[in-house]
Amino acid sequence: MQRPPAVLVQGLEKTYPGGTRAIDGIDFTVEQGEFFGFLGPNGAGKTTTIKILATLLSKSGGHVEVAGIDIDQDARAVRSSIGVALQEVGLDDLSKGRDFLVLQGRLYGVGRAEANRRADELLELVGLSGVGKRKIGSYSGGMRRRIDLAGALMHRPNILFLDEPTSGLDPQSRLAIWEHLEQLNAQGVTVMLTTQHMDEADRLCRRLAIIDHGRLVAEGSPGALKAAVGGDVVRVSFGPMDSPDGRADIALGTLRRLPAVQEADTTPDGLTATVDDGGAAAPAILRALNDAEIPVANLAVTRPSLDDVFLHHTGREIRESDADEDAESRVWGQWMGVNRR
Amino acid sequence: MLILRESSYIYVRNLRTWLAQPTMIVAAVLSSAVMYLFFGEPLRGITGLPGFPAADYQAFLTAMVIVMAVVFSGSDMAMVLLTDIMSGYVDKLLLSPVNRFSILLGTLAIGATRAIAQVVAIILVATAIGVRFEGGVAGILAVIAATTLLGVAMGCVGLIIAVRTRSVQVTVNSWLLFMPLAFLTSAFMPRDLITGWFQFAVGLNPIEYILVAVRTVIIDGWVWEHIVPGFWVLLGTSAVLIGLATYEYRRATN
Repeated sequence: MQRPPAVLVQGLEKTYPGGTRAIDGIDFTVEQGEFFGFLGPNGAGKTTTIKILATLLSKSGGHVEVAGIDIDQDARAVRSSIGVALQEVGLDDLSKGRDFLVLQGRLYGVGRAEANRRADELLELVGLSGVGKRKIGSYSGGMRRRIDLAGALMHRPNILFLDEPTSGLDPQSRLAIWEHLEQLNAQGVTVMLTTQHMDEADRLCRRLAIIDHGRLVAEGSPGALKAAVGGDVVRVSFGPMDSPDGRADIALGTLRRLPAVQEADTTPDGLTATVDDGGAAAPAILRALNDAEIPVANLAVTRPSLDDVFLHHTGREIRESDADEDAESRVWGQWMGVNRR
Repeated sequence: MLILRESSYIYVRNLRTWLAQPTMIVAAVLSSAVMYLFFGEPLRGITGLPGFPAADYQAFLTAMVIVMAVVFSGSDMAMVLLTDIMSGYVDKLLLSPVNRFSILLGTLAIGATRAIAQVVAIILVATAIGVRFEGGVAGILAVIAATTLLGVAMGCVGLIIAVRTRSVQVTVNSWLLFMPLAFLTSAFMPRDLITGWFQFAVGLNPIEYILVAVRTVIIDGWVWEHIVPGFWVLLGTSAVLIGLATYEYRRATN
C-alpha cells in the first residue's frame, strides 16, 4: 500500500475575523520523509498555514490532511502524530528544562520511565545536558529554541512543523539547529519549516514553496527554482590593451555570435553574458575572446540565488527582519477578532 | 480515567509554577495576618454594641478574612492564566493531544489548592491569636471544603476575565470587580446593624450568604438556619460560574 503524503493541502483559505485574508487558496503536498520549506516575507501567511496544519487555528475553507488524517475528522490523532515548535515559543520560564521535556512527553502519552529516559537523550542531542536542571527563564535565545525543538521530539513524531526555527539566532546557534534538523530528516522524519532566510531554505530544503500575500507563487527544488529564473551569468573583465578603442564592441559581437550565449552586454570594464550553463559556456567564451585577441583579466560565473528567484516571482526582495509576523495573531487573539499589530 | 491523569500533569505543572514564586505565597499569608491586625484592633470595641452576636471580634472577623482572601484569589488566578496565554504556553498545551477539558480541570484545581493553602494558613493564624472554633474539627473541615469550592468559583471568574479581555491592564485591575463582592457584606458588622442602601445591597450579594454560613460555623457552631442558605447559594453560584467558565473556555479553544 502506498503511504499517504505527510501533508496534503487543497484550496486552503483563511480569513481572520475582521476581514484580513491571510491565506487565499493554496495547494501543496509534502511527501513522507521530505524536507519542505515554506519561504516568504513577514505576513505572507506562513505562520497561519503552519498553525492550521497543526490544528491550532481553524481554516475558513479547503481540505487538509496531515499524516493521512483529515484535520476536520480527527484533530486529536493529528496532534499525536506531529511535533510542533512555533515562533512564539510558549515556553514555561518558571519550569526547569528537563521538567518541561518530561511534561511535554507525558502530555503526548509517553510513559513516565520512557519520558525521563527520552528527556535525557534529547537534552544530550540538543547539547543542553548541563542545564537541564536550570529554569528555562535563564536560557539564551538559542538554548530556548533548542529546548523547544527537543520538546517537539519527545513523542518521536514522524512529522515536524517548525515556524522560523532559527530567526533571531546567532550564526553558531543556527548551524547547530540546522545540523539537528538534517540529522532528524536523515532518520526519516518529515520536516516542514517556514523561513524568511534564503540561505536556510537553500541549505536545508529539498523542495520549497514561495508564499506571498497568501498565495503560492512558486514551488520546486531550490535548483529548479533558480534554473527557472534564467541562466547563469558569466562576467568578463578585460585585461590591459594596447589600443582599447572599439575592442569592447568587437568582443561583444564575438560573444553574441556564440550559440551558447543568449544575451550579452558591455560593462565599464568588460562584459556580461547570460548563458544556460555557465560551466560549459565559460571555456568557449574564453577561446572566442582569445581568438579575437581580447585579453581577459578575470572571468566569473554566477548562478541565480534564491533572492533572484524571490525577486522574480514577487517583484521585490524579501525583507529580512526578526519582527513577529504581525498579521498572524495566535489562536486566542484570533478568537477575539483582534489582529495584534 | 485519562482526563484525570492528563489534568494531573497540568496540575503539577501549575503547582510548580506557583511554588516557584514564593513572594506570591508569602504575600497571600501576610495579607491575611495583616487584616486581623488592621481591622481587628481598631474595631475591637464594636462587640460592645447592643445586638452584636459575638464576644470576640477576632473570631467574628475570621470568616471575613477567609472569604476575602478566597474571593480576591480569583483576581490572582486571572493574572496567572493571562500570563500563560500571553507567553503562548496555553497554545503549547492546545497543540498537544490532551483533552481540552483536562487543561481546564488542571487550571481550576490549582485555584482550589491555593484556596485550601490560604484558608489553612488563616486558621493557623486565628488559632495562634486565640480564636476558638465553635464548630469544632468538623466545622474547620467544613469551612475548608466550602471555601475551596468558593476558590474554584472565583477561579472561574478569573478565567472568564482573562479569556474574555486578554488584557493585562484589565486583568491586573480586576480586583476592583471583586471588591464589591468582598465588601458589600456583613464582613465587619452584622447585617442587622447595617442600615439603608448598604443593607439592601448586602442582601443581593451571594458572597454574603456564604460569609454568614462560614461565620456561623466559626462563632456559633452548627446553627443550621444560618448555614443552609449559604450552602445552597455556594452550590448554585459555583455551578453557574463553572458552567460559564467551561462555555467561555470551549469557545476560546475551538
